[in-house]
Amino acid sequence: MTDAVVNLKDFFTEARAGRLTGIRCTQCGELAIPPKEFCGACGKRAWESVPLAGEGIIASYTVIRVAPRGHVGQTPYAVAVVRLTEGVSLLGRITDVPLESLRVGLAVRFRPLVSGGETMVGFGPA
Amino acid sequence: MRRVAVIGVGVTKFGKHERSSAELFAEAAREAVLDAGIEPKAVQALYYGNVTGGESERQLHMGPLAASLLGLPTIPTTRFENACATSHAAFRHAVMEVGAGVSDVVLVGGAERILHVPTEHATEYFAYCSDAAFEQPTGLTFPGVFALIARAHMEKYGTTEEQMAHVAVKNHRHGVHNPKAQFRKEITTETVLKSAYVADPLKLFDCCPFTDGGAAVILASEEVARRHRLPVWVLASEAATDTMWLHDKRDLSRVTATERAAASAYRRAGRGPQDVDVVELHDCFTIAEIVATEGLGLFEPGMGGPAAEKGWTSIGGKIPVNPSGGLKSKGHPIGATGAAQIAEIVTQLRGDAGPRQVAGARTGLTHTLGGNTATVLVSLFGRD
Repeated sequence: MTDAVVNLKDFFTEARAGRLTGIRCTQCGELAIPPKEFCGACGKRAWESVPLAGEGIIASYTVIRVAPRGHVGQTPYAVAVVRLTEGVSLLGRITDVPLESLRVGLAVRFRPLVSGGETMVGFGPA
Repeated sequence: MRRVAVIGVGVTKFGKHERSSAELFAEAAREAVLDAGIEPKAVQALYYGNVTGGESERQLHMGPLAASLLGLPTIPTTRFENACATSHAAFRHAVMEVGAGVSDVVLVGGAERILHVPTEHATEYFAYCSDAAFEQPTGLTFPGVFALIARAHMEKYGTTEEQMAHVAVKNHRHGVHNPKAQFRKEITTETVLKSAYVADPLKLFDCCPFTDGGAAVILASEEVARRHRLPVWVLASEAATDTMWLHDKRDLSRVTATERAAASAYRRAGRGPQDVDVVELHDCFTIAEIVATEGLGLFEPGMGGPAAEKGWTSIGGKIPVNPSGGLKSKGHPIGATGAAQIAEIVTQLRGDAGPRQVAGARTGLTHTLGGNTATVLVSLFGRD
């Protein structure tokens, strides 16, 4: 058995370069966010990596006003679950969207947010 | 499995303490041993719950520490960690040890101490219960997680911030009568609605507090329990897990782990939601209580908000929820919460709850949720 098709390091290295990566089960067609060993739908281990376009709509969002250590100077900031056009979702920090214009259904586009050598998933205006 | 009963419970005052979490647990355990009327040496094992000890107290290996503090340094002991469901998870495993016939008397519970660290540190340590790669870097907090759930529930069912406020008002009203509660003060919906946003749409008074405290339960086999004045029988103790990642949850308005743990518990106990007289559930945030009442089958999906507004979950209502004051008023020492909920249900089923007693309660349910709705435990208790 080989290593995972896409591990965490791969996912975030690609994300840092602006590319989102999903994994598709070649047995049952299930699309997922990596990493995963076995397919949650059919139990097989037959993944292929697939590029995700990074386009989607906000499924839910919040504006964080009391932050954990390390984020205190950034408040208020928005975090959203975004439903991507391919059907999977991703959580990310919302950037360059006025907080008062946030709403469920708003179209957004993936962008990597890099700080202190750490990459996080971000979403900006579509 | 053999029948298992709770024969002793103990809970410290919840709030701010100057003692270590292990000391807080030892106080609760001493109370539980005295309540059970057993000799301390009768305890054969300790299942211990704590979440943030490594970060907030620089203390690991807490099982032996707690056992040593109790004067029982040689009993087998293990520490459990399942985020906010920690001591309920420990309870389930302790039930299995007694049920399997390995031990006849087992002590289980937990403790947490967090109020001595700054709020942003506590917020960070709690956020460690979410995923370190996808979630923590975004600055997502636990109020944030439940704010995402609240927004989804509002979008799907029209649940309102005012309905959520009614949960906080009701739990504070109940907590006035709990001498162990952190906040024993009534509030109004206006107090909640005018409080500052922590993570929109959740405001300060939608959130339970940070709390120090400990809780303990003594479990016994049927043979031992028959010698006790009022054994409370464990009818079921079930666990369910959901995907760790918020991004993998198909419907943020539901907690499927609650639905699955409840279905397993009802099946094992041969009971249904209509048989439950009193409930202690995980109201870490007001929306969490609304979603839990739906997931446990007490109300139809989408009816949790209206039920709170109509007073159906008050003592004297259709199905009293959180007579202890819940996490909102009683407080939420995360390693102790599950055991404290069980202690309340045992007290209710014994008829010992005083001014917060649910009249005639014979069947009770506890529900504890951990992390990003990834861990849920549901237990059912009965007088017979």
